Amino acid sequence: MSTSAAEIQQVQTIRLSDVCKSYGDYAVLKNIEAEVARGEVVVICGPSGSGKSTLIRTINRLEEINSGSITLDGQNIHAAMRTRELNLLRSRIGFVFQNFNLFPHLSVVENVSMSPIRVKGVAADVAHDKALKLLDRVGLADKARAYPGQLSGGQQQRVAIARALAMEPPVMLFDEPTSALDPEMVGEVLAVMKSLASEGMTMICVTHEMGFARDVADRIWFIDAGQILETAPPEEFFKTPRHPRAQRFLADLRH
Amino acid sequence: MIHDIIAIIQDYWLLLLIGQYPNGPLGGLANTLILSALSIALAFPVSIMLALARLSKWRLLRWPVTALVYITRGVPLLMLILWSYFLVPLWTGADVPSFVTMLTTLVVYQGAFLSEVVRAGIVALGSGQMDAARALGHSSLGAMRFIILPQALYNMIPSIISTFVSTIKDTTLGYVINVPDLTFAASQVNNQLLTQPFQVFFILAVVYYAICWSLTHVANIVERRITRRRAGLSGGAAPVELVPAKIISEQL
Ligand SMILES: Nc1ncnc2c1ncn2[C@@H]1O[C@H](COP(=O)(O)OP(=O)(O)OP(=O)(O)O)[C@@H](O)[C@H]1O
Ligand SMILES: [Mg+2]
Repeated sequence: MSTSAAEIQQVQTIRLSDVCKSYGDYAVLKNIEAEVARGEVVVICGPSGSGKSTLIRTINRLEEINSGSITLDGQNIHAAMRTRELNLLRSRIGFVFQNFNLFPHLSVVENVSMSPIRVKGVAADVAHDKALKLLDRVGLADKARAYPGQLSGGQQQRVAIARALAMEPPVMLFDEPTSALDPEMVGEVLAVMKSLASEGMTMICVTHEMGFARDVADRIWFIDAGQILETAPPEEFFKTPRHPRAQRFLADLRH
Repeated sequence: MIHDIIAIIQDYWLLLLIGQYPNGPLGGLANTLILSALSIALAFPVSIMLALARLSKWRLLRWPVTALVYITRGVPLLMLILWSYFLVPLWTGADVPSFVTMLTTLVVYQGAFLSEVVRAGIVALGSGQMDAARALGHSSLGAMRFIILPQALYNMIPSIISTFVSTIKDTTLGYVINVPDLTFAASQVNNQLLTQPFQVFFILAVVYYAICWSLTHVANIVERRITRRRAGLSGGAAPVELVPAKIISEQL
């Protein structure tokens, strides 16, 4: 790479340096070093239990870390700070869960509009209109008044994406957004994610959808036993994985 | 038998309804209803605060409240009532009306029980809802208020109602410290008649049953309405099979 340090500084949004995390004696993340540039799409893959969820959850501090730092545009997410500051910081990082975690007591449009209203103080009618636009964007304008329990998994996950987008985050994190879905619903969710990526959203996605990784990712991070063993553009990663464990992982996937 | 009961009601309905009022303190059914309503209205918010304190990350808040809840739940209500009745005036030197003693004791006792119900409702939601709320930038109190409690309380409506029902029934214990409620009035009537205890206390039982049953019934309606709204039947969407609302009624 010939980019100078200054240029990296300018385009980098997320930077993880020497991040370590353990549960008791068990080290889940070991000296993670990584960065994500603005507009970049990173796909994290690796075997089950390798620490993918833990890693992505530390980025918006749903999990604490033991040492190291994670910065968003230069601001240390894991620094000691007032809870208000942390909440504000979190609201700038969208997160999409494997199990959607929609609020079942609220209608779809309320799910999307409530956080802008309650967290950012946006006026209710403004937030409502915005929510309808976002629902339209994920193809669910006609479900605005439905409740989550009435939607299919794919529809719920698209609402969850709209809910995260309503906070206008510059970064979106996805933790296996399609793993809980029936196969026929995976496509509709990936399509929404693809359109987000093409609009320049900075994204970090934990996913087993290698087709998506190949088409959309700028880089793949391969993680095993709490370490990032390889980072490479998808064509390189899929054609000529360097690390033996990455090779084995890909071979297992093909079977 | 029926005649006796009707005669008793005809002779004593005013005493049973409002006690000695206006010549003495308000009593009878009116006082029972006031005591019940106040106990429930105060125990409910108290229970939510106790539950939140027990789930707090601050030990200084969590431990004393946990101890309070355990102790309160572990002793008979009657003993708590006698304690506050005899000891509070002794300690404070203040002359506390028995109604206030009873109300306070009931609020603490039922608040402790209810807090366990509320806490169980919160814990049963799992961490996903809180994670989602935090990821969107909600404060923990905001998340509790707008996301966690509305669901936890709704899910616990049956248990909450049965605690309310037992609160109403527990107001009868005020009798031992001379709170002039319906039970007190009934026993006054019984003392005057001397020969018809069955008839007198039959009236008493019917009235308590009617109050508790009405509360359960109202709760049923409320719960069914929320369920229906969530199933979207009012929103014109596809009907979803309704789970019939159940109110735990073993306490009735
Ligand atoms: N709260 C916890 N306490 C103790 N160990 C935990 C906890 N959460 C996760 N772990 C352990 O940390 C390791 C990494 O978990 P993580 O959920 O990050 O894996 P993952 O890569 O997301 O796996 P999967 O593909 O199955 O989702 C696992 O071995 C898991 O058992
Ligand atoms: Mg995971």
